[in-house]
Amino acid sequence: MKQRPYINWLMWFTAASFLAPLLVMVLISFKPEVEVLNPESVFPQNWTLANFKHVLGWSEEAPFLQWMLNSLFISTTVTLLVLVFSSTAAYGITRLDLPGGGRFLALVVITMMLPAQLFLVPVYLILNWMGFLDTPWALIFPATAGGFGVFMLSQFMKAIPKSIEEAARMDGCSSFGVFIHVVLPLSTPAMATLGVFTFIGSWNDFIGPLIFLDSVRNYTLPVGISLYQTSYYTEYGLTLATSVLSTAPLVLVFAVFQRQIIDSLAATGGKE
Amino acid sequence: MSSQRLKKLSQYGFLAPYALAFFTFIVLPLFVALFLAFVDYDLATQSPPRFVGFDNFHEAFQDQYFWMSVKATLVFVVLGVPSTIVLALALAVGMHAMSRGRNFVRALIFLPGMLNVAVAAILWQWFYNSEFGLFAHLLGEMGFEPLPFLSDKHLVWPAIVVMTLWWTVGSSAVIFLAALQQVPPQLYEAASIDGASAWRQFWSISLPMIQPVLLFILVVNTIGAFQIFGQPYLMTRGGPELATRGVVQYIYETAFNNYRLGYGAAMSWLLFLIIAVFGFLQYYALRKMQR
Repeated sequence: MKQRPYINWLMWFTAASFLAPLLVMVLISFKPEVEVLNPESVFPQNWTLANFKHVLGWSEEAPFLQWMLNSLFISTTVTLLVLVFSSTAAYGITRLDLPGGGRFLALVVITMMLPAQLFLVPVYLILNWMGFLDTPWALIFPATAGGFGVFMLSQFMKAIPKSIEEAARMDGCSSFGVFIHVVLPLSTPAMATLGVFTFIGSWNDFIGPLIFLDSVRNYTLPVGISLYQTSYYTEYGLTLATSVLSTAPLVLVFAVFQRQIIDSLAATGGKE
Repeated sequence: MSSQRLKKLSQYGFLAPYALAFFTFIVLPLFVALFLAFVDYDLATQSPPRFVGFDNFHEAFQDQYFWMSVKATLVFVVLGVPSTIVLALALAVGMHAMSRGRNFVRALIFLPGMLNVAVAAILWQWFYNSEFGLFAHLLGEMGFEPLPFLSDKHLVWPAIVVMTLWWTVGSSAVIFLAALQQVPPQLYEAASIDGASAWRQFWSISLPMIQPVLLFILVVNTIGAFQIFGQPYLMTRGGPELATRGVVQYIYETAFNNYRLGYGAAMSWLLFLIIAVFGFLQYYALRKMQR
C-alpha cells in the first residue's frame, strides 16, 4: 500500500482527542473548588490535593475507602470463582466426554445471547429468597453463572492434543491430576484473559450494585460515585477526584495488559 | 464395572459448581421471570403473588409511559448504532492505513472503555453543564451563548450519543481493525493495478470481506443500545420531561422503586421481544445483501 504520512498525523490527533477528556478529568481533580466553578483554563492555577484529602478522609455519608475495599473484595472473589468454576466445567465438558456435556455447553451458549435486562427482576427476587440482598454475595454468585468463561475455555481446551493427556494417564494421573498438572498449566493464557475481563466487568458493574445493594457502606465504587454526584451536586472537583481514584487501578491494569486485552477482544469478534 | 460407573459419575463433580450457578442464576430466573409476568406481585405489601393472566401485558400496551420509554430507547438506537458503526469503521480504516504508531493509537482509542459508566457519565455531565461546564466555557470563549445540552429535548440524545461514542466506540473499532488485517493484501494490490481508488477498494474489497464481523458488531451494539440505562440515568435521570427515560430505566423504577415485580417482568419480556425482532431483521437484511 502507498505510504500516506498525513494519515499518521490524523490518527494521532484523533487518539489525542480520545485521551483529552481523561486528562481534563485528572487536571480538574487537582483544582480548588473556586477554579472549578470559574475556569480560566483547564490547567489548575493553584494545584491542590484538597479534593483527594477530602475524599480519602473517613466520612459516614461517603466512605470512599470502604467502597474501594468492597469493590476489591467483590471483583477479586468473582474473578477467582469464575476461573475455578469455568475451568473445571470446561475440563469436564471437553476432556472427560461426560454424557450430556455437549448439550449442556450448547444450552449455556444459547443463554449467552439473552439480554441482561431480562434477568434483573427475577434475580432480585431469588437473591431476596436466599437472603443475599445488600451483601457482597448478591453481586458475587450471579456473576459466576455467566457463560462466557465456560465457552471460551472450552474452545481453548478442545485444542489441547489428547496425546499429552494420555502420557500423564499412563504415569498414573487421576482425572483431577490431569486437570491440575496438564490441562490447567496449558490453559494459562486463556485463563489470564478470562481473569482480566472478569475483573474489569465486575469492577465496572453499575446496575447490579444499584439494584442489589441498599446500605451506603455496602456500596461498590461505581454506585458510590453516583451517590457523590447526587449529594455533592456542584462540587465537581470532589466528584472528579473520586472518579480519578476509582479509575486509577484499572488504568494500571490496562497499561500492563493492554496488548492482551485488545488482542483477545479482537479475536472474540473475529471468530463469530 | 460398578466402580467404573462410580468413577464416571464422580467426574460430574467437575461440572457441578458451574452447573449449580448456571441453574440458580440463569435457568431459574427465566422461569421466575415467566411466572412473574403473569402475576401481580407487590414486594412492598408482602401479599402473595396473584395470578392475573395477560393483564400485565395488557397494561403495558395501554401505558403511555411505557410507549414513551420505547420511543426514547428507539431514538437512542437509531442515533447511536449507525454512528457507532460508521465511526468505528472510519477509525479502523484509519488505523489500518497507519505506517507507524498503530498500537499506541489503538490503545488510546480503546482506553475510555476502561471507565465505568458512573465515571464517564459524571465527567461528561460536567462538560455539558450549561453554567460552569467545559463546553459552555469554550463556547463563551468563542463568543457564543452556552447551550443547554442536557436540558433541551432536541440536544439531549445527541449529547448522550457523543458521550457514548467516546466511551464505547473503541471496542468496535478494535474488532474492525483486526478484521481488516485479515484481508489478504494481494486483493488490494490487484485492485490498485486495475486502477481502483482507495474509496472504491473500501466498498468493493474491505467491506464485503469483513461482512461477518460487521454483522456481529451491528447485532452486539443493537442489543446493547436497546438496554441503554446508565448514561441517561446518571446524566439526566431520564429528563427533560422523560425524553431520555429508556425501557430499562422504566422497568427499574417500576420494579425497584414501586416494587411492582410482575409488571416489571412483563415489560422485560416485551423489551426482549423487540430486541429479538431487531436482531433477526438485521441478520436477514445483511444475509440478503451478501447474496
